[in-house]
Amino acid sequence: MLLIRCPYCEEERPEVEFSYAGEAHIARPADPSQLNDEQWAEYLFIRTNARGIHYERWCHRHGCARYFNAVRDTVTDKLQMTYKAGEPKPDAIGPSGGDK
Amino acid sequence: MSSEPITDLLSIDQGISIPDVLTRHPEKIDVRLVGERCRYNIRVQREDLDAVRAASALDLPDKIGASSATQDRKILCLGPDEWIIVAHMSEAARLRRTCRDISQEFTLSTVDISHRNVAFSLTGSLVANLINIGCPLDLAVDRFPIGKSTRTVFENAEIMLLRESKTGFYLETWRSFAPYVCSFFEKFATATQYDTNT
Ligand SMILES: [Zn+2]
Repeated sequence: MLLIRCPYCEEERPEVEFSYAGEAHIARPADPSQLNDEQWAEYLFIRTNARGIHYERWCHRHGCARYFNAVRDTVTDKLQMTYKAGEPKPDAIGPSGGDK
Repeated sequence: MSSEPITDLLSIDQGISIPDVLTRHPEKIDVRLVGERCRYNIRVQREDLDAVRAASALDLPDKIGASSATQDRKILCLGPDEWIIVAHMSEAARLRRTCRDISQEFTLSTVDISHRNVAFSLTGSLVANLINIGCPLDLAVDRFPIGKSTRTVFENAEIMLLRESKTGFYLETWRSFAPYVCSFFEKFATATQYDTNT
């Protein structure tokens, strides 16, 4: 079982308390009516699917119930860091385990 | 707190069947259904916290996982802006007034969830082991000290856990989960009974 540090609880907690919530830092378009179908589909469905460093959202569902962000290496499944929602995207620590 | 007598069992029909008491070697495992309580979930923005505390006389703890308790009332801080108050029914009218008053003065949410949850009081030298059959938290007393509380899971059912003494926990779960949760208590207690007899 993974231990995940919740930035709100400030504790490492068991993975079963969390739920995954997709890629992080995807901003909703400011004016959706200005987008064509292709651009809207891009926003809705197209994701990085990184091999290596991935910025993603998690929710401490059965804990403090807050969403937050994490940096995880998808090759090693190691969580490098977690940070509160709304905080700027941090640099990843060290090299990725995957391809660049 | 450890052997709180059951004087006020659930007065409403909870639509569930759970034993009031489950005891195997009381010094090791003593699980009791807690009587009827009134419960409020309160969501307050951090910047209003001091003012709400002053206006309500509710001792809302600062830190997630902290709790405060008086004879008739427990308050747990569950999230960054979320608290739950669990009080004896004798406090119900006063608490309702308090919630109404602060709702008028502040932008916050107070929700009566009295009948959503069922509570168990667990005491004995083995109850941390019992909770650990379905909950992966480290319940060593230095990691999960007296007064610490949290929402977590027990066999995939969401629970709320508060340590009240070295060998005493207060556990709440949704009413419909209670028979399921309790069935694991029974299995563990029975298995332990056979262990100690042989
Ligand atoms: Zn948390």
